[in-house]
Amino acid sequence: MKFNQIIIALCLGFISMTSSANINIFTCEPEWNALAQEIGGDKVSSYSATTGLQDPHHIQARPSLIAKVRKADMVACTGADLEIGWLPLLLRRAGNPRIQKGQPGYFMATRYVRILEKPKMIDRSQGDVHAAGNPHIQTSPKNILPVAKAMAEKFADIDPVNGAYYQQRLDDFSVRWKKALRKWKRLVRPLKHLPIVVHHENWVYLEDFLKIKQLATLEDKPGIPPTSGHLVSLLDLMKVNPAKIIIHAGYQSEKPAKWLSKKTGIPAVKLPFTVGGTDAAKDLFSLYDDTFNRLLKAIKK
Amino acid sequence: MNFEAVDITILGPAFVAGLLVLSTHVPLGRTVLKRGIIFIDLAIAQIAGIGVIAADAFGWEAEGANWKIQIAAVSAALLGALLLNWTEKRFAKIQEALIGILFVLGATLGLLMLANNPHGGEHLKDLLVGQILWVSYEQLWPILALYALVLLAWFYLDIEKMNRLGFYLIFAVTITASVQLVGVYLVFASLIIPALATREKSGNSQLFFAYGLGALGYLGGLLASALFDLPSGAIIVWSLAVFGIIFSTLIARKPTEKQQKINA
Repeated sequence: MKFNQIIIALCLGFISMTSSANINIFTCEPEWNALAQEIGGDKVSSYSATTGLQDPHHIQARPSLIAKVRKADMVACTGADLEIGWLPLLLRRAGNPRIQKGQPGYFMATRYVRILEKPKMIDRSQGDVHAAGNPHIQTSPKNILPVAKAMAEKFADIDPVNGAYYQQRLDDFSVRWKKALRKWKRLVRPLKHLPIVVHHENWVYLEDFLKIKQLATLEDKPGIPPTSGHLVSLLDLMKVNPAKIIIHAGYQSEKPAKWLSKKTGIPAVKLPFTVGGTDAAKDLFSLYDDTFNRLLKAIKK
Repeated sequence: MNFEAVDITILGPAFVAGLLVLSTHVPLGRTVLKRGIIFIDLAIAQIAGIGVIAADAFGWEAEGANWKIQIAAVSAALLGALLLNWTEKRFAKIQEALIGILFVLGATLGLLMLANNPHGGEHLKDLLVGQILWVSYEQLWPILALYALVLLAWFYLDIEKMNRLGFYLIFAVTITASVQLVGVYLVFASLIIPALATREKSGNSQLFFAYGLGALGYLGGLLASALFDLPSGAIIVWSLAVFGIIFSTLIARKPTEKQQKINA
């Protein structure tokens, strides 16, 4: 019985994978996977190379990734050098002409929003600074709509027959998103000017949206473990100018944040960072619901 | 199970890369095992990494000159080889301990240097965790040429028996190339597991079984990686270990000639 059910489930899965979808999408991060499903509905089938609990900077090579990119009509990723360690290699190995750089199937979300922290001058002593600016745009809900619009246009380019369908789904999504944005803006008012400490420089867009103030990062230079001198100066800073909360992402180790929290008594908060980063962050809407709820809960204590 | 990834064009280059790595690592591993210097590859790889970080400090990476980085890596590895050759002459009895110490010194010197030069970190990572699946056939040509020379020198000059310095130098060059291709874990496994599992055999028959075992390990690992959607490098290490255990138990069951004589 069990075995039969598994076979049937496998067959159904196989049929649904091959038959109905018009656009096969390979996404690098779960937020773009979620967005592709919002806009594309049942006309697209999409897959995310990473989960919400993985660091999107790095990824282990698996054969299925190459197989999936090979079949894809479109890759939807963050860009701005976030996936520079693996996406170019993956695209080269897959050798699929539809999704190479410059082709219609090559979609980088950071092209469609205003990028923060674009260095005017790249100073190599500053650490793992992204020359293309900060790529973590999905931490602000304001950035989702422009990407959604661009994605719908791409879908219509690749699959013109269903252009109207994608447009209609985009319109529907826009209405719901704008409504949610208004709700979130009201909800997060108490967070304004909140002083925070972050683990890694990946919350600038959230800070911009909430108008909160980042006092310091646990990592002295992005991507490098902190030095003892940096931690001492961080503790000193917290005495003079204490933060209200310490933020870290679901995929990061909570040790550094917990350490600082213990030393200073400032609460450490885990935020989902992307869809799937926490249990509650199931789609794009609940991602921000959960993010803001966690922050609000932390300051109420 | 995931059959779509079982595809020769996906797994082929990785398998060929594995065979290339095995071609040099099996004979080298035999010597490494005989000399009891198991962790030498980790130490040499780390020292090659130091070379890369140093190259970065000179600003070579900014020029995008990959060959300069390669030269820095090989030079550092060769220096490490000279050092190890000297320590084996001077302190033969504690050589393995010294190699272990050299490994941690190399790894931590990297961290210390990176504290002020963070961009070297990306190269250090590339150097130590090469990913076998991203390999393309074009990348393999220089390795093929290099390893042909290495094998020629190894078997024709019979470096294994004659020359300690020659062994360390050849080892350094070989490892610097292979870690970038398949990463430290696979290099270690390819070096040690086939040699260890076939230690009861000797001479050419050991080489034959060690190569066969290594090839089966890579093939099984790559297939498992495709079928179960697992990271290739890690699962190949396990596959090599499984084939190694199977092979050594099969050998152990058959008493060797010596034992037969003793029994008789």
